[in-house]
Amino acid sequence: MRGGAIPLLAWALLLSVLYAINVVWTGKGLDAAMAGFAVAATIVTALALAVRRPREALRSGPPPPSEEPKAIPTASYGSVLLAVGVAATVFGLSFAHFVVYFGGGLILVSLGLIAREGYLQRRALRRWREERQP
Amino acid sequence: MTIEDAPLVGDRRRSAGWVGAAISTDHKRIGLNLGLCSLVFFLAGGVMALFIRAQISQPNNHIVSDQAYSELFTMHGSTMIYLFVTPMAIALAIYLVPLQIGADEIAGGRTTLAGFWIWLLGGLTMEASWLANDGAGRDGWFSYTPLSESQYTPGVGQDLWTLGVILAVTGTTIMAATVVWTIARRRAPGMALLRMPVFTWTALVSVLMVVGSFPVLIAAMILLYLDRTAGTHFFVGFTGSIDYQDLFWFYGHPVVYVMFFPYLGAAAEAIAAAAHKRWFGYKAFVASMLAFSALSMSVWAHHMYTTGGSVNEAFAFTSTLLLIPAGVEYFDVLGTLIGGSIVLRTSMLFGLAFFLQFLIGGVSGIWIASPVLDYSNHDTYFIIGHFHYTLFAGSIFGFFAGVYHWFPKVTGAMLRERLGKLQLVVMVIGTNMTFFPMFILGQEGMVRRISRYPEHPGWGTLNLIESIGAGIIAIGVLIFLVNAWISLRDRVPAGADPWEGQTLEWWTSSPPPVLNFPEPLPPITSYAPLQDLREQARERERERVTT
Repeated sequence: MRGGAIPLLAWALLLSVLYAINVVWTGKGLDAAMAGFAVAATIVTALALAVRRPREALRSGPPPPSEEPKAIPTASYGSVLLAVGVAATVFGLSFAHFVVYFGGGLILVSLGLIAREGYLQRRALRRWREERQP
Repeated sequence: MTIEDAPLVGDRRRSAGWVGAAISTDHKRIGLNLGLCSLVFFLAGGVMALFIRAQISQPNNHIVSDQAYSELFTMHGSTMIYLFVTPMAIALAIYLVPLQIGADEIAGGRTTLAGFWIWLLGGLTMEASWLANDGAGRDGWFSYTPLSESQYTPGVGQDLWTLGVILAVTGTTIMAATVVWTIARRRAPGMALLRMPVFTWTALVSVLMVVGSFPVLIAAMILLYLDRTAGTHFFVGFTGSIDYQDLFWFYGHPVVYVMFFPYLGAAAEAIAAAAHKRWFGYKAFVASMLAFSALSMSVWAHHMYTTGGSVNEAFAFTSTLLLIPAGVEYFDVLGTLIGGSIVLRTSMLFGLAFFLQFLIGGVSGIWIASPVLDYSNHDTYFIIGHFHYTLFAGSIFGFFAGVYHWFPKVTGAMLRERLGKLQLVVMVIGTNMTFFPMFILGQEGMVRRISRYPEHPGWGTLNLIESIGAGIIAIGVLIFLVNAWISLRDRVPAGADPWEGQTLEWWTSSPPPVLNFPEPLPPITSYAPLQDLREQARERERERVTT
């Protein structure tokens, strides 16, 4: 199978067998719910990998060389600000409510920054292509 | 081909110095930041442990108050588990996995960076509970209900602890998810699943467990916080308490293995490199890792045998099954050592100490996997001895095996071998002095989480030996810090591959550049591509001599 889903599916299968035994043996609803979550999370990840743009089978050797560049971010203020916003929101629940609003504001700003970083990333790629077109 | 700095094109130049390190999306920088911050939390947790040991070094000591003692053991356990051993395992994965699979970056660099900061701020929130008027978190690292409900543990300190756990575990989960994605999507051409290095496999099963089990703890902590502050009643009464324990241990047992597998991988890589031999029984090892991790997510209620709320037979069955994959790993170590050209490096010796000392933790685990035997040992020092042999004598020794093995790769400088071996000896002595007497005390009935105990014959002596052992461990850690400082000050250049490494991280320079591999990768036809190259070169040389 393509996309790296095999180990996840194998692991999900193992978990399913063990949890089936467990649920039959213990008969506890909460156990079944937790186990179901773990299996579902693994299968959903595996399916996401399988469905997303499939990659070349790795074992068959390297893919043909590509001149298409990748734009790789090396720094991100937005991500750090997003984390600070989330932490401030949670911390504020116990400390003071104004910190919750401050954190919410930071999250909005950070999402804007991340969107801008993504835009600049795409623009850099577009310009690279334009510069090389005859 | 890449466009480096793409998001900053036409915007601003990449920040340098501390700010640059803080906002970098390079997996090596994030892994290093995470590792260094974890190490600081480790030192803080270690200081708390010294206070704990000082208090109970003799019966009826009064170095700290009863409440301060509760805060100390709670924050020691929480700091070590949420803020050191688990994140350090993830730090190793973030730094090394992309290098080992031939990727030029981690998948979702921004997401990983956000995860790191959420974890760090969560850790600081947890530690901020020390500043609360009513004291820090004080209900143990698992914070059982009903004790942790607001009527029994009122105050902001416990609230901050709960929120800190939510943030720290959320950050860890996010970072682990990006490692899963990296392994799935960013492997180099030729790096098929059964060509991934041993460490990468241990990292993969660990991050799978994180993604599958950690969200359950986040949910439990949110419900606990609502119980404490919003007047809900999720964990009220016997059923509620058992439900909390089920939710907690669904995270709490897998996390033990998340704190074990990557260090097992580090020890395995160090041993294989020092034995100049491929890891023995690779496919059996991979299968055992998958089985080990799946089983470790099916044993959580063996922590609840005495509650009357779990079906003990079911969990005793799965807990005992863990012996099989564990046995495979020990068999693999022996197979790797036999016939190898062994060089007794510090990294390898730490790796061997990891396996030997973890064996004591594992064997005592068989004891408490049995409900009948566990009844007499539950909540005694036997349990403390058991899990410190797995998590300290095990994981920390595996961690140091990894540090001595990969320090040259990360810094470009060699650690001093003599100081390393001295550290090993000191730490082995200290560890066994500290944790082995706990088995005896536990068998004699000394219960955990007590700040003072009666003058039972022998207890004072054994506790004093443990406390002296804790001090010796601290000296061992100090020797490591001195070693790192000397090695970074008077650098002995490491070169790209000082150990004749087998995996791809040794193909690139030390430390690796941004985007990891400036040179084309070698052909990947096995899980040890550099060993393949060496063997091919030797074969050619033999043929040349023959002809």
